[in-house]
Amino acid sequence: MATHRSCALWSYCGRRWSRVMRCCRLSGLCSSWPSGPLGARHLSQEKPATETHFGFETVSEEEKRGKVYHVFESVAKKYDVMNDMMSLGIHRIWKDLLLCKMRPFPGTQLLDVAGGTGLAWVLGDAEELPFDDDKFDVYTIAFGIRNVTHIDQALQEAHRVLKPGGRFLCLEFSQVNNPLISRLYDLYSFQVIPVLGEVIAGDWKSYQYLVESIRQFPSQEEFREMIEDAGFEKVTYESLTSGIVAIHSGFKL
Amino acid sequence: MATLLRSALRPLRALGGRRGPAADVWLRGARHGAGLLYPGHLPTSPLQKALLAAGSAGMALYNPYRHDMVAVLGETTGYYALKFLRDQMRKDPEGAEILQKRPRISLSTLDLDKLRSLPEGSLGQEYLRFLDVNRVSPDTRAPTRFVDDEELAYVIQRYREVHDILHTLLGMPTNLLGEITVKWFEAVQTHLPMCILGALFGPIRLSAQSLQVLISELIPWAVQNGHRAPCVLNLYYERRWEQPLRALREELGITDAPTCMSGAWPRP
Repeated sequence: MATHRSCALWSYCGRRWSRVMRCCRLSGLCSSWPSGPLGARHLSQEKPATETHFGFETVSEEEKRGKVYHVFESVAKKYDVMNDMMSLGIHRIWKDLLLCKMRPFPGTQLLDVAGGTGLAWVLGDAEELPFDDDKFDVYTIAFGIRNVTHIDQALQEAHRVLKPGGRFLCLEFSQVNNPLISRLYDLYSFQVIPVLGEVIAGDWKSYQYLVESIRQFPSQEEFREMIEDAGFEKVTYESLTSGIVAIHSGFKL
Repeated sequence: MATLLRSALRPLRALGGRRGPAADVWLRGARHGAGLLYPGHLPTSPLQKALLAAGSAGMALYNPYRHDMVAVLGETTGYYALKFLRDQMRKDPEGAEILQKRPRISLSTLDLDKLRSLPEGSLGQEYLRFLDVNRVSPDTRAPTRFVDDEELAYVIQRYREVHDILHTLLGMPTNLLGEITVKWFEAVQTHLPMCILGALFGPIRLSAQSLQVLISELIPWAVQNGHRAPCVLNLYYERRWEQPLRALREELGITDAPTCMSGAWPRP
């Protein structure tokens, strides 16, 4: 996993290096550029605030954390009733299927991230979990990873805290595979869901964010590749309800 | 090398996400920033407006404390009535000035100390007393969101902010009976569907006794006064705080409230 990280950093800095060089030549400046790892670190400190998406909006990564926090602070009170209304209770079936796949038994060390409620809960950050390496048999995250600013970091953390042989399971909204159902799903998502949010919870914007963030999330195949990149193996996925949601599974071997 | 490139590009791909094609805007709703006519504006399709109207009407009836639902109902069904009101305002010199200057009534714009120092029986004094006795504030009015015309958005905002002054003018408390009576007055004055619906369906929640009083005394009084008075949105209230309430009522042709309500809120 460490190899992956430094390789990515190296190639990123390499590209930045060449971009800076092009700018230098155009403006006619001739200052000499430091080379090697020190030089690379110097360049990355000067990089501007990275932008990301918040639904269909473009925001800085810093802003996104705060905005996502406020969304969930706002929806927490009516979370369960809204889930039932929006999915007509089907979210319970999805979650049951996730548990079926997991087949937990007494003694399973299970970590459910972005769980909301549970038996014993710990406040933490999915991108920097407050747990030691190799601790859990199963890591689950249901409808949570979509809201993380750096999904790759959350996946790397999942890999770190799992024991060898441990399983990663993710239940998340995904891409609908059928064109007709996709149009109906879009219609329902964008025309009905924010209205439901406004009428039931008095909150249009959080539910607008919800349906937009679903569109921003990678497809089943793309997400599978991301999970592999984090070091998981035997990564598979199963689409449910025509791909409205998918359960991704991977193992730390 | 290929693996390096692949792993470098993947985070960028995940970040980039996908944007729907322009043709899907109707399905997917308006983009952020594009088509926003005023701060807080939420552009909505006709289907969304219809769903919002139906949903907010049902929710407001189910839970009358959801004032936000009453506001949403007003905004999603009020287009023609708001145009009528805006035209009424344009035809009147005081109303036209309000449309041009766009005054707002809120705790931040009101000079509370000055209002309190005004003589007993003045509009400003009586308005403040109404806010105190009924424990309401002009700042609880939600900002307009679903009106797709910037001037009409102001008109409905003005109507909302003037609502408490109407309570003062009519001498109506903020209990259910008082609110329904004001709604009848407003329905006649503004023709807003939300006022008409509130006037017709609000009484469902009343006791038989209150219903009796409403039908026999309050509705006729409210409707008569609503027809007689000129458009209440054409008054620049911010310039009339010193005006004695009695004189203002005479100017507008508003008679004293029926005696059944006289004990509800002490008046001079």
